[in-house]
Amino acid sequence: MISLAATATPHMAVWGKWLGDALGTNAAGASAGNAIFGIFLSLMVYLIGQWLFKISKGFFLFQPLFVGMVLGIFILFLMAKAFGTDTATFYKSAYLPGGNIIFWFLNPATIAFAIPLYRRNDIVKRFWLEIVLSLIIGLLISLFIIYFVAKLFGLDNSGIASMLPQAATTAIAMPVAVSVGGNSAITAMACIINAVLIYALGDFLVKVFKLNSDPIGAGLGLGTAGHAVGTAKAIQLGSIQGSMASIAVVVVSIVVDIVVPPFAHMMGLY
Amino acid sequence: MAANDKASKTETAKEEQDSPILIQMGIFAAILFVSSLLSPLFPASFPVPTPVMGLVILYVLLCTKIVKLRNVAKFGDFMISLIAFLFVPSGIQMAANLDIMKAQGVQIVIVTIIATIVMLVCIAYTTAGFMWLSRHVFHRNTEVEE
Repeated sequence: MISLAATATPHMAVWGKWLGDALGTNAAGASAGNAIFGIFLSLMVYLIGQWLFKISKGFFLFQPLFVGMVLGIFILFLMAKAFGTDTATFYKSAYLPGGNIIFWFLNPATIAFAIPLYRRNDIVKRFWLEIVLSLIIGLLISLFIIYFVAKLFGLDNSGIASMLPQAATTAIAMPVAVSVGGNSAITAMACIINAVLIYALGDFLVKVFKLNSDPIGAGLGLGTAGHAVGTAKAIQLGSIQGSMASIAVVVVSIVVDIVVPPFAHMMGLY
Repeated sequence: MAANDKASKTETAKEEQDSPILIQMGIFAAILFVSSLLSPLFPASFPVPTPVMGLVILYVLLCTKIVKLRNVAKFGDFMISLIAFLFVPSGIQMAANLDIMKAQGVQIVIVTIIATIVMLVCIAYTTAGFMWLSRHVFHRNTEVEE
């Protein structure tokens, strides 16, 4: 059993058992209390991030999502140390039940992107051919660059294969990664880093590369590189950008489905 | 013409009442349920996850006017405003993968960071290129209204 009880005085043992029960790290506590900690921790670290972002007047490293992620991992790491277990085990028993409840709500949130997409249906109807062609050609160019960058940094074939499908939404990218000989956990991690990075640096990158002169391109780029979170960022830039990012999430995922396996085969990855 | 359409749409949206929030949630739940039935029908070599299927279904329902914006917009916009927070558990999930980071080193993270910027810039510039083509080669009007 993982609890403070093993390491401390009898007085501490009572507290350790009580805390372990509440967090669900003791076998006995693996029921009611345990989802609450994950939800509580997620909200607290995100709110701390929002507060830091506000008092630093929008410093990019204090983006709430980024702060929440780093602080959350750090707190779990410290608590795992205190409970005398490793971070992964503690994460699974104490955080995951609550985390999964919040995670589930990404389902309706993703569906909701049909709304900003439909709001600018005029753009979709006028430019659907340009949109689809840009996503296919743009993704192919990206695949070549990502392949050579990965090669340059000395990743092995499995590592390269894990990098290629990251433009797709996680649920599509993971099986595609496996089918081209990659590691789906690395691909999932890449998708998370995409989203966090675009949310933290999206405004900055759009400014540096002067992307907003073409709102359709900016939207498609943000949706491809940042997935759902990138789409939320694009909506802040404007209705066209939001609509285009929503369509990019869907179309790019399907393009990855179709294009990445032959591309990986051509490059001799599997 | 498209602009006129849009203007009249927003006007009518103001006149009509939003659906009660429980009905909006019910529509989302129904779409999720149908998509969860449909998405396993796709072969493993061509996965279509439930939320992507749901996005397409809701878009089709909106286009065919079976579902109107006032039926789903309030709850949908609320969910979208939460998306950065909803992503916190995915970020914290990396706590479970700290050993992968150790094994594969920092290269994976650096390549991913570069790949993110590459995807953003490549797609955006390719689109700008295609818009330039349709403007100058196919002489289409590519002016858009914000």
